[in-house]
Amino acid sequence: MRRYRVAIVATSAIITEGIATILRRGGEADVVLMGEALSDIVPRLRSADIDLLIVDTALLRTAEPHEELDDIIVVGLQTSLYDGDIARRMAHAITLYTPEEEIQRIVTEAAEAPSQVSPQESHELSDRERDVLILVAKGLTNKEIASELNISPHTVISHRKNIVHKTGIRSVAGLTVYAVLNKLIDSEQL
Amino acid sequence: MNKIYDNVSHAVIEPDIKLFELIDAHPSVVSIFARLNITLPFGDISLREMCDRDNHDVELFMVLCKMHIDAAYRPEIASFGERAIADVVGYLRASHRYYTSYMLPHVARHLDDILAKCDALSQRVLRSFYDDYMRYVLAHFEEEERNIFAVIENSKYSNSTSCDCSIMERPHGDIDDRTNDMASLIIKSLPEHVPTPLRCDMLKDIYALRDDLRTHTNIETYLLRPLVESLTKQTKQ
Repeated sequence: MRRYRVAIVATSAIITEGIATILRRGGEADVVLMGEALSDIVPRLRSADIDLLIVDTALLRTAEPHEELDDIIVVGLQTSLYDGDIARRMAHAITLYTPEEEIQRIVTEAAEAPSQVSPQESHELSDRERDVLILVAKGLTNKEIASELNISPHTVISHRKNIVHKTGIRSVAGLTVYAVLNKLIDSEQL
Repeated sequence: MNKIYDNVSHAVIEPDIKLFELIDAHPSVVSIFARLNITLPFGDISLREMCDRDNHDVELFMVLCKMHIDAAYRPEIASFGERAIADVVGYLRASHRYYTSYMLPHVARHLDDILAKCDALSQRVLRSFYDDYMRYVLAHFEEEERNIFAVIENSKYSNSTSCDCSIMERPHGDIDDRTNDMASLIIKSLPEHVPTPLRCDMLKDIYALRDDLRTHTNIETYLLRPLVESLTKQTKQ
């Protein structure tokens, strides 16, 4: 399994270094970016090929929406008692008191878990997943796919995670080949 | 203890280990010898004797062995000096040549054998995917040689007091994804009539390439970069 690339943003360097050390000890993550401000880290997420962002919920309380966060997995890091409401709304969250092994487990699950949108255990793509795959193969972005299918970008990301899980293919080029070989798309349409 | 039946090697990597014992315990290190053109037969010589003969730093060589054996191994760099940077860059350049001259052509030959069994459409899309993959990987190597290795070497030779280590902060995930994707396509998406032995031959080489590329990335990230950062700090003090 490819090691997933992680960025950590928290208000304290002690916290970011601590989380980074825990993840490195787990052996499945490469901590690539660390910082204390979302504005420093978010513009670098794509170029650094980040899979997962661990972000201090205190920063989310006042942050402006960032489109770049639509395309990656986000794990909340609750550093304040007052941010429980934000943490509870997030699919994945840890706190300062979460034990080390639990942090590693939660972050790994967040990086690898298939979405709740398609709960079947089957490795057959659902109709919606096929729709998303075809549009990925045609080169559309997540936002364009969401607009085309009238779903949220977050749902598109969930479907793409399922597609990766079921096909074992992650890159757009690979998914395109998969779509052609499995006759989901005519090569002339590309 | 009968080493043949050990499923966990107890061979300790140390300077006086015999080369044949090292390879017997950890076959993955064979590729290090191949890319450094270390001549066989070894006879009975030790790792230290081979390094003395071929002008390699034995401590650094052991680090490279450990990084090839254990993906989670993180070396201590405190004892290494400036020479180690040149040696590591040299090793990484040799690795690029090894990939382009040996490993990638092996994968390409297996792909040719597989495509010969496929219909025209499968041939076209798979060939296009592989050609695109090759171009991407070669461009990545060229960029590393030009923008990282050459910059590091110029920093040293121009007595520059610093090297901007952020140049090494570059994504490698896309190559890993595409390599894994090739394997997935071979496993799951080829027409059923493609013989299993052909698929397995290609899969063995794809996974060997993938694992070696990951080690290559680890050497850049956890050995070269800390060495350069350490030297830059020392130069500034």
